[in-house]
Amino acid sequence: MKNFSIKGFLNQFTGVQAGKKFYNDTKSGALDERREELHGRIEDRKEGFDLQKTLHDFWYGKPHGERRLGDLYIGNTGLYKHREWRGVKDTMYYFNMIWLYNYGNMLLDIFKSDEPLSFFKGVLRYRWMGQTYLTVMHWFDRGLEGLRGEALKASAWHYRAMVSETIRQFMRMFAADKKLHLDEANEYWYKTIAHDETVSGNIFYGWRDRFDDVALQMIPYFVSCHVNNKTVLNYIDAMQSIGLPADPCPMCQAESGIFVLDDYPDYSPVMVTSNEACDGSVATSIITDWFLDRPLFAMPQPMRFDDPLVHKHCMEEIEQCWKFIEKETGEPFNWEEFKKHAEAQNKLTEFEREKWDVAANTPYYPINGVAQALYRIYYSQDGDREIWHKTDAHVRKILNKCVFNKIETFPNTRHRAIAWSCAPLYYSNWCTWAYNCWGINTIINMDSLMFNQTIRTDTYEHALDDLARYNELAPMRSMAVGGHEHIFQLWDYMEQFNCDMVIMYDQLQCKGMQGIKGRFEDEFRERNIHAIWVPHALPDKRTVSRKEIRSIINDYMTTVMQEEPLDPSLIDFDDDASW
Amino acid sequence: MKKFIVTTLKLLGITYVILFIVFYFDLDGKFLYYIWEPNVITRFDKMKRKDNVKTPYGKKANVMPDSEVEERTIN
Amino acid sequence: MRDLKHLIEFDNLLQEANNELVQQAKSEGKRALGYTCYFMPEVLLDLPGCFSVRLRAPRSTSPDVATYYMSNRTCMYGRCLLERALEGGYNFLDAQMATETCTVTCRFQEHLQMMDAIQNDDFFCEFTDVPFKKNKNSIDHFETQLQNHVLDPLKDHFGIDTSDEAILKSIEEHNELCRLINEIGEYRKKENPVITGYEFQLIMLVSLCCPKYLIIPKIKEVLEDLKIREPDEKNPYRVRVVLAGSENDDPDFTKLIEECGALVVADRHCYGSLPGREEIEVREGETPLRAVARHYLEYNECCRFMEQHTMRERKDYIADLVKEYKADGIIVESMKFCEYWSYERTIDTLIFPRDYGVPTCSIEKEYVNNAVGQLRTRFQAFIESIELKQLNAENHSEEV
Repeated sequence: MKNFSIKGFLNQFTGVQAGKKFYNDTKSGALDERREELHGRIEDRKEGFDLQKTLHDFWYGKPHGERRLGDLYIGNTGLYKHREWRGVKDTMYYFNMIWLYNYGNMLLDIFKSDEPLSFFKGVLRYRWMGQTYLTVMHWFDRGLEGLRGEALKASAWHYRAMVSETIRQFMRMFAADKKLHLDEANEYWYKTIAHDETVSGNIFYGWRDRFDDVALQMIPYFVSCHVNNKTVLNYIDAMQSIGLPADPCPMCQAESGIFVLDDYPDYSPVMVTSNEACDGSVATSIITDWFLDRPLFAMPQPMRFDDPLVHKHCMEEIEQCWKFIEKETGEPFNWEEFKKHAEAQNKLTEFEREKWDVAANTPYYPINGVAQALYRIYYSQDGDREIWHKTDAHVRKILNKCVFNKIETFPNTRHRAIAWSCAPLYYSNWCTWAYNCWGINTIINMDSLMFNQTIRTDTYEHALDDLARYNELAPMRSMAVGGHEHIFQLWDYMEQFNCDMVIMYDQLQCKGMQGIKGRFEDEFRERNIHAIWVPHALPDKRTVSRKEIRSIINDYMTTVMQEEPLDPSLIDFDDDASW
Repeated sequence: MKKFIVTTLKLLGITYVILFIVFYFDLDGKFLYYIWEPNVITRFDKMKRKDNVKTPYGKKANVMPDSEVEERTIN
Repeated sequence: MRDLKHLIEFDNLLQEANNELVQQAKSEGKRALGYTCYFMPEVLLDLPGCFSVRLRAPRSTSPDVATYYMSNRTCMYGRCLLERALEGGYNFLDAQMATETCTVTCRFQEHLQMMDAIQNDDFFCEFTDVPFKKNKNSIDHFETQLQNHVLDPLKDHFGIDTSDEAILKSIEEHNELCRLINEIGEYRKKENPVITGYEFQLIMLVSLCCPKYLIIPKIKEVLEDLKIREPDEKNPYRVRVVLAGSENDDPDFTKLIEECGALVVADRHCYGSLPGREEIEVREGETPLRAVARHYLEYNECCRFMEQHTMRERKDYIADLVKEYKADGIIVESMKFCEYWSYERTIDTLIFPRDYGVPTCSIEKEYVNNAVGQLRTRFQAFIESIELKQLNAENHSEEV
């Protein structure tokens, strides 16, 4: 991390460094060469200057092939010399409806929460908060780079929803957090249920009228990686510092490291954990139990979920979890409340299917790869919340407009890609880059294809039956484990979503996916499918950097596909020190 | 009154332009990157933390013994 | 000590999965059923007409083809098994009774399903779902699974008698073997034991990898021989240790520890006897299958179990072994890339010295153990540190 110096900071704005450089160059004679080169460039520009085109570009933004987005970055920081000019309309939309709107709403979200002041305490207490979440607008910038029109609007609404829900969650954690309240338990502490981020929020619907449920690692770990990938490295290192080898899944390492560094909020008297998605999650539960040291209920899901015989067992585990909550909180499960949220959740699922339909069968789908993937996994894991419905209402309007007016939202699409396996959290916006640079449009992700079960609410038994199935097919679970048949559903989904390319995430520490890698290679060859293996280490950018990921895709596109980039400035740039 | 409205509008206009400059030149990002982040990193690196590894690993009772798993009544 | 009876023969039997006794049982028309994990009750695979073989890949070197299929970032045990399968080393198997109890062995077994690796027309691979708890719901579930994914397929494919009587008979044979192994294991508790950890592991492994009805008579003879075996006058070992950890079917690893001066007196690891060789009790009113399902969950100390009290109790189990076997320390080993034991080992290494006062040595190893030199240094240092502590304690007590 760069050390801050006022002098250095001011130099960037005052031109002191430029002055020094000028002096040195004059002495060395390099200035004459540069002056000649500059004159040449000015002459070229004069010759090629086209006022009409310049005005057109100012008004509408440059066309895709001429944008040179890579030139906007400052060194390896990921910062912009200036934010992209997208034409008057889209730039002003970005400024007013994304930048200003989100900053404003973030403040509103904080001040309308239960304990606004705890925000400041949280910022100063937790690294994942103080270092990460203030940089959130850059997360928007990275994910929405190069987008125009309806795609920009729809994708931004997804980002907005995630930010709002993140604020709601951390504000609830802070309001209840013993550590921010002189180690004393307040009313919120007793009224909040903590659970693993892989335990679905819908398990707790029956108490939402009296309690709130907040996933313990969702905000400190999962979302933070996307917003600012530097924070998480502290947690991975902390876990390894107490003796854990480096090879287990880094997600589980990071989740555990939060406890080692005492960077978890203490906001609930109980904890519900799960074995989702893999062996590492079971192991994380052990660490969670040790450090939290309070009543903990493990709610494992069966591994061989295709087997109808596992279902009864799963239902009973869910019921036992409910019994545990009743016992610990003294509050009974409220069926009417459960029903209300389950029905609302079904509406979200219905719209999701509509979105899939448009994505699969038309070029009018207005949500880019990263917004689609993150929003989908966030809301389906979190369960029914008001913000998702508001967002879907906005997005539905945009979607309808695109379909009815036949607006091609990603007009420079050369390849329709499906992204399979689990994605690099530190570079979830790689698909924005891939579209801008190569015209690879990521239509759908593996994680997005889960959770599309409807929960019947006509009877308690039906609801439990469907809820169990929903949880059996939990994140990463339904395709990464539980039988190779599920991972190979890729071929069906490729066809369903009309994809001609696979971006095959190669999570180096995921034993489940590594353990079947060769079969994928064989199948790709036999089926003659263009598949680009993208190695990564989930939250840890040190193992495979973003630059390396881009380089692998570049190599495939130039050597195998023999294509030219849409934006050559994006081929090679350094963003190693960026968020 | 008119003066007040004009002044307010002017101020709002100036604020809007300033915010646009902040937005366009990514000054918010630069502030967070060069000033905020190094300082909070220093703060968090120096922060005294509880050594959680010292948490005792004693026995625990079964949170849900079979004897307590009875038929649930649904409200 | 003089050589123990059958020990060289046992060592030879462990050089191949398809060993002489397996071949003999096959030639007698019995069906060979492979499995990898303790969660698959071997007693059900030893029903009349079939026999269990817990899979190993002895004499493995570099699993090149398996590494292509499973990458070099997965546990080498899983890869070596696949390599051996692809080489034809498991063609004698008539079925693989699989469990998804850890990711990599699951993937190995899925490759058997996918790749037609076993050149045996009768071969099939059937998965059983194994619960993560020991509660009643889990026992019910496990019982159903065993009925549907072990007993029924055996009956359907090979006409195996899976009646209660047949299971009872198998339990009887199993219990006989357990009594023998336990009796042999008891000798490890003595001040100057007449059996080493290496020898015990050979016996334990043949009991897992050979047909029970053929190996029991030999183990009986070993027990008789032990009764008259004289220990060395001077105990050659400097300390006694409990070996805990993940998959370990390598007697040479135990030998290495013992060569450094630490006698392995208890084996709490996959392929070990603690737990693993407890007699199955059929309680009143219980079907034999129910008893098996209950037994294999209740006695299991796998770090896959997730209930809060179970997670914590398994530390006590190891600490109790230390007391019972009068061990001076624990060596916790984990196979590289074993997700479960990476965490368990980390916690054990921190907890045992601090909360239980037991010196602990933490080791990461590969299935094909090439790091002998480094490990030897680690073990020697560990033994010295225990001796130093003992010396300090003695001096301290003298001063007091």
